[in-house]
Amino acid sequence: MALLSFLDRERSVAHPGYSRWLVPPAALAIHLAIGQAYAFSVFKIPLSQLVGVSKPAAGDWKQTQIAWIFSFAIVMLGLSAAAFGKWLEGAGPRKAMFVSAVCFALGFYISYFGVISHQLWLLYLGYGFVGGIGLGLGYISPVSTLIKWFPDRPGLATGMAIMGFGGGAMIGAPLSIKLMAFYKSAGDVGVGKTFLTMGTIYFVFMMFGVFTIRVPRDGWKPEGWTAPAKKNAMITTHNVEVNTAFGTPQFWLLWVVLCTNVTAGIGIIEQASPMIQEFFKGSIGPVAAGGFVGLLSLFNMAGRFFWSSVSDYIGRKTTYFVFFALGATLYFLLPKTGADHLNSIALFVGIAVVLLSMYGGGFATIPAYLRDMFGTHHVSAIHGRLLTAWSTAGVLGPVLVNYLREYELAHGADKSSAYQTVLHVMAGLLVVGFAANLAVRPVSEKYWMKDGSVATGDSGGH
Amino acid sequence: MSENTKKSSPAMILAAWVLVGVPLAWGVYNTVLNSMRLFQAPAVSLPASSAPTK
Repeated sequence: MALLSFLDRERSVAHPGYSRWLVPPAALAIHLAIGQAYAFSVFKIPLSQLVGVSKPAAGDWKQTQIAWIFSFAIVMLGLSAAAFGKWLEGAGPRKAMFVSAVCFALGFYISYFGVISHQLWLLYLGYGFVGGIGLGLGYISPVSTLIKWFPDRPGLATGMAIMGFGGGAMIGAPLSIKLMAFYKSAGDVGVGKTFLTMGTIYFVFMMFGVFTIRVPRDGWKPEGWTAPAKKNAMITTHNVEVNTAFGTPQFWLLWVVLCTNVTAGIGIIEQASPMIQEFFKGSIGPVAAGGFVGLLSLFNMAGRFFWSSVSDYIGRKTTYFVFFALGATLYFLLPKTGADHLNSIALFVGIAVVLLSMYGGGFATIPAYLRDMFGTHHVSAIHGRLLTAWSTAGVLGPVLVNYLREYELAHGADKSSAYQTVLHVMAGLLVVGFAANLAVRPVSEKYWMKDGSVATGDSGGH
Repeated sequence: MSENTKKSSPAMILAAWVLVGVPLAWGVYNTVLNSMRLFQAPAVSLPASSAPTK
């Protein structure tokens, strides 16, 4: 369609003089919007009171039914990132961002009709299925473009965008609460109109990213920058095609690296509020525990930027060694900070925020690690497939935490010591991640693309 | 076809960062306010017998 030809990759090639510092805000516009997904829980109570308004009534949806909306969205995030990554490499970031914005907004609009007609399946279809595709496409769309614009600091560049995903929930939660309060009336919880408004706001915000994003011209490199003369064996100058990468040991080792790091982080996130209350019974109540959860989200976001930037200096492999070695030690020590042992709230909180910073850092550093291993050519597509590790961890983490804890409680453990086993298992998982990271070696020459594209500074139109 | 070689203006770059920075700062501000409750909330009082010993 000629009308949409401005979305074509050829139309988004940067003119000489275009500043690469316009690209991170474009990427942030997408990630700050789709990060709203992690604030979906603020809709759970209003959605369970659509009929009763002030309290759940007969015919209202149960919270367990509503929880599936978010689960569908996260599953679709992983699946669409894996499925459409290769298409994105050809279509370019602008088209992918546009489709992401359309899907994300459409998800809200379909959900609006689900709310006003009280049809739950429309929310599964809207926010879960269609919106979830928007999440997956949006998450991976700016990654390879950022890496190509910042060959000198790929960790910093992708860290900025992925930090936005963490920050998106911080915007989405208060925005939703304020909108629902604004639209609330005697017979309406206000969630339907909130969906409609948020779909529109996010669509407009994402369009800023769509219109601002540019891909670098062929052969472009930062002014005054030359690729390091001294070759680092852990940073390739070649490219690996996405289907080929999928069959390499490096892909699966990094899959384990991401999966173990995320699973361990979810171990804290999932139980943060009850854990701190049970560790410090009598000292920490629900209000303070809510504050603790807020603090964790701040460090989750900050860690994304901090660790990915640090990885540009110390290397990706070393960064993950820090995550796994320090993380395993801290998970092991965390139960010792409780009231039964050291009784130090400050130490508990200090350890937890460092752990959450490394959880966020794991997400933000992985694109640059993939670029180091497989080159820039298909890095978004490879990243998309690797995100299945996130989807797996999203199921594995909560299942491990909840079942282990229930098992411990059923076998006579008190609430506080039940956490000890869970946290020690998380430490064990990080040891597995350490071993996987240790096994990562440069990708064998037999997997390289035959065209001999040079990854560093390669800005080819692919 | 003449090629556009115009340099991106610093004002445009600043505006782009402000556009994404302001909502992010608002979100961070709200989260910081929320997290302050960890340090401000009064301790839950318990009978002396069940209070932590250390």
